[in-house]
Amino acid sequence: MAETQIPDNKVCGHCTSPEEAIKAMRLRTDAIIDRIGTTREKIIPLLQALQEEFNYLPSDALARVYERTEIDRAQMISVASFYAQFRMVPYGKHVIKVCIGTACHVKGANIVYDAFKRELGMGDDTITTADQQYSIEKVACLGCCALAPVVQIGNKIFGHVQPGRVADVLAEFEEYCAQQASQAKELDETKSQGEVRLGMENCCQASGTAEVRDAVVKASGELGINITVKPISCVGACNQVPLIDIATPDGRIVRYPNVKPEEVKEILLHHFRPASRLRRLRNAILNQIDTYHTDQTWDNILYTPEKERTQAINTFFNGQHRISTEGYGNMNPLDIDEYIKLGGFEALKKALVSMKPAEVIDEVLKSGIRGRGGGGFPSGRKWGLVAAQSADKKYVICNGDEGDPGAFMDRILLESYPLRVIEGMIIAAYAVGANEGVFYIRAEYPQAVIRVRKALDLCREKGLVGDNVLGTSFSINIRIFEGAGAFVCGEETALIASIEGKRGFPHIRPPYPAQSGLFGKPTLINNVETLSQISYIVSHGADEYRKVGTEGSAGTKVFALAGKVNHGGLIEVPMGTTLRQIVEEIGGGVENGETLKAVQTGGPSGGCIPASLCDAEVDFDALNKMGAIMGSGGLVVLSDKNCMVDVARYFLNFTSGESCGKCTFCRVGARRMLDILDRLCTGKGSMEDIDRLEELANSVKRGALCGLGKTAPNPVLSTLRYFREEYEEHVQGICRTGSCKDMVKLVVNDNCVGCTKCSRSCPADAIEYKPYEQHSIDTDRCTLCGLCIDECDYDAIVRMPLKEVKL
Amino acid sequence: MKIKINGKEVEVSGERPLIEELKALGIETPSMCYAEGAEHQASCMVCMVKNQASGQMIPSCSTYPVEGMDIDSESEDVQSLRRLSLELLLSDHRADCEAPCTVVCPHHLDVAQLILYYDRGQMAEAHALLASTFDVAALPCEDCKAGCEKACRRGTVDSAVAIRDIVREVAAYKPNQQGSYVSNARTGKDVFTSRLGRYTDAEKEWLKEVYSQQSRCLHCACEGRGKCKLREYATQAGIKTPRYGVSSSLPVKENVHVVAGLHFEPAKCIRCGLCVYNTNDGFTFQNRGFNMQVVIPEESKAHVSEQIAKLCPTGALYVYKVRSNK
Repeated sequence: MAETQIPDNKVCGHCTSPEEAIKAMRLRTDAIIDRIGTTREKIIPLLQALQEEFNYLPSDALARVYERTEIDRAQMISVASFYAQFRMVPYGKHVIKVCIGTACHVKGANIVYDAFKRELGMGDDTITTADQQYSIEKVACLGCCALAPVVQIGNKIFGHVQPGRVADVLAEFEEYCAQQASQAKELDETKSQGEVRLGMENCCQASGTAEVRDAVVKASGELGINITVKPISCVGACNQVPLIDIATPDGRIVRYPNVKPEEVKEILLHHFRPASRLRRLRNAILNQIDTYHTDQTWDNILYTPEKERTQAINTFFNGQHRISTEGYGNMNPLDIDEYIKLGGFEALKKALVSMKPAEVIDEVLKSGIRGRGGGGFPSGRKWGLVAAQSADKKYVICNGDEGDPGAFMDRILLESYPLRVIEGMIIAAYAVGANEGVFYIRAEYPQAVIRVRKALDLCREKGLVGDNVLGTSFSINIRIFEGAGAFVCGEETALIASIEGKRGFPHIRPPYPAQSGLFGKPTLINNVETLSQISYIVSHGADEYRKVGTEGSAGTKVFALAGKVNHGGLIEVPMGTTLRQIVEEIGGGVENGETLKAVQTGGPSGGCIPASLCDAEVDFDALNKMGAIMGSGGLVVLSDKNCMVDVARYFLNFTSGESCGKCTFCRVGARRMLDILDRLCTGKGSMEDIDRLEELANSVKRGALCGLGKTAPNPVLSTLRYFREEYEEHVQGICRTGSCKDMVKLVVNDNCVGCTKCSRSCPADAIEYKPYEQHSIDTDRCTLCGLCIDECDYDAIVRMPLKEVKL
Repeated sequence: MKIKINGKEVEVSGERPLIEELKALGIETPSMCYAEGAEHQASCMVCMVKNQASGQMIPSCSTYPVEGMDIDSESEDVQSLRRLSLELLLSDHRADCEAPCTVVCPHHLDVAQLILYYDRGQMAEAHALLASTFDVAALPCEDCKAGCEKACRRGTVDSAVAIRDIVREVAAYKPNQQGSYVSNARTGKDVFTSRLGRYTDAEKEWLKEVYSQQSRCLHCACEGRGKCKLREYATQAGIKTPRYGVSSSLPVKENVHVVAGLHFEPAKCIRCGLCVYNTNDGFTFQNRGFNMQVVIPEESKAHVSEQIAKLCPTGALYVYKVRSNK
């Protein structure tokens, strides 16, 4: 098997004939089939591996799959066309993924998408450049919401991508590709003088932490300083990155937010003395020269008083309470010894050695913890249901299919605290009598997959996963299953179908997964965040846990705070904190001095809570009462510049695209709601449309089969409830915020000095070139791309409603 | 166990779904995606009932009785949700039940069936059909304003079928023997009739190519309307015109020959999945959400039999047998 010869050259340019090319492809396909397996449930991993190998799914490779495996054509079509990840046509060398998650959407992601297509000279219908270098696609959410708008090219993520920056981003990417060859050399860590800590999550990398790290490595080499560069768990302050912490040998930690690569040298010199005397002298001279010859150092980061420097960060951390994210910002996610030193796996030891499974369940039940995935079902009861089943095999699944646009908690927890989640899963498995665990992680989170895989390896080495855990008779195997791009798979029955190699169709409950789940066996499915709180409950006890939070919702909740807020990021607060506290205090208020209009919670299944209700305490029940839901915990802040009809339309567009298509109410009903919202947003709606929309929304809510369908109307119903007047204005052709493209125009105001910058940047030639005269925009030609707004240095171009607003 | 159905306490075994329990009480529940004894999964949501104990709407075809249930299958609440599910299905159903020509004929001639016989060369049958409707010797068509030709869908593509010429030709035909005919047309006001929306320009070009036989008739009438549950339930629910405009991603008029006499018309499919769940490596779903379709790969066609047409609740799957033309 292992002896099969595989051509090294992936691009089969050296194959002399088509027959030979097919033969080579068959060999490569065979190797993959041998590695993964031939049974029907292996279809998703098999297709993922084939796509990784060939960049798409070539028909010749699929033909080989039919020949050699149990998978037939009907299953192939059914599965491959269901999941967004799979493609049947070759893509360009690099794929540009433009995030259209909620936070990115409200910051103009569609304009960014158009800008990339324009920059790369793609037509309306093409998604790949003629030279096969780039392909472009929209993705639901990259989970870097605090850096919106976000774009991923290849495996590099770019944050704050404004339409005008598109060319720079592409240039930066090309440069990055060129640099990839010359990797930065590792440091000698023998005589470390201290630590430099950097968050290396997906989102931190997006904002340039990787460049800062390279600068640290380079500068310490040049300066002759021996320091350890330590990757740490997410700090959560996504708005202040790149952020570095300097830990000196005397135990002090100094924090620097928003560091630029060129500032690194200065910071290091401030804290560390070069090892050799000669080096010190040389550095001193060179620095003197630097200081006199450049003006860079004057507004240098070091001259800002520490208090001022870290004020934003400190208010950000006040009011937070750490359970899931304990050890934030100082723990290496993959250092198992450090985790154990900080009390990790104590809970597991306690449970396995001194508690019976029923006692563990009792403790979880008493703690009052409710499922963090969205529904808020008491976790203890769920565990009890699974434990009560007698079966030869049971499963525990960790649901990491966080598909909500605008949410990234689960990704951070998996990337930053994989060991804590694994510990939670082992305890859960012990409690319910399962000995097989599955991590279901969505494919859009490659970093999370890598970290959890490594963390599982570490646990196996330590005897924490595998046979006879910690020397007891309890054994557990844990594997990872990568989702293939379907939001509906966050629904537990659909998730199970997906692992079984089927379309992600939910089925009607009962039977519940607790009775008949994965492969017909009793299955416990818990969300990532739920599992990450288990170890705390077991080691500190239920009573201690209950002290945090509200009566009906105990503990803390991790939120992804994003949208129009000054300090977005990952936060963990006690249940019962008010939305206003979160937005005003932790988030530092609404950005650009705009006014808070609403907070959207729970993603596409949630609702918009108007500013007037933001003083309510946040817990499961309070949110339900307001017509929103906790969901998985995305909080997107909306300002008075955001159109609520557009927000509703955005979510419906998402859910109708992610609908599995099984039941009538979701498949057709959601689409008909979207049809109506499309009409409203283009000024073609009528008053009856609003009533019909409301009726339809109420019916879909009652009639749909699964959680996705039943909650899909929530964004519509909540905006109708609190912002009905905006719907009515849209019927009259007015969008007061200027968000709806068909009801808005760009206008030049008196600030214009006639610099012609806008005229030169306009891709549609809608601005006449008239130096030193006030410019004007030809509304008929204008495509509203907004490039001119970015270009203008005088804030002279603004979006205005086409019609007069009567408020 | 005991549950309540429409206020009455009933003893049930718990082993069959609610829809069967309702049937045992003489309550027929409309359902598209359910067929007794066949593999099925709840999808159409036409069989909704309300569990008053929990306030939830549940599909009766897939829900099994649970102690304490209080089922309501009659209230306006339930009926309106069922009606809406039918309206939604109809809004994604690009097909005519009856041909417009038949619908508008003031003399109630099944024009569509007549042209179908004519196109198949079954002149005796065509003549018999005509003769059964009115006196062949004195055709009322001569004085008619020919609404049939004005309504003709072919007219929206290029020009209408010359219906009256065909009728004249059939009338003039001298049959050797008595032909027998079948007419399934139901054109009364009390019957729901689905209407196709407009053709797109691309579809028009395609139709011109495919329907190039002498009559140029598009054969708008649905072959499977005799067994169509969708039409039956829409009629029962009193739906006249669906409130949601017909828009669909489905290929209109596409007709896939599957095997033997089995044909499949995707534009009429409501995606209940009965044909998918009851064939092995045969019919399958493609894509998801609103764009989800039922398809059958060329290589899989041999794996299905004509029997599957019986499960199809609409005219999407039907067996079409050309009768021997002696």
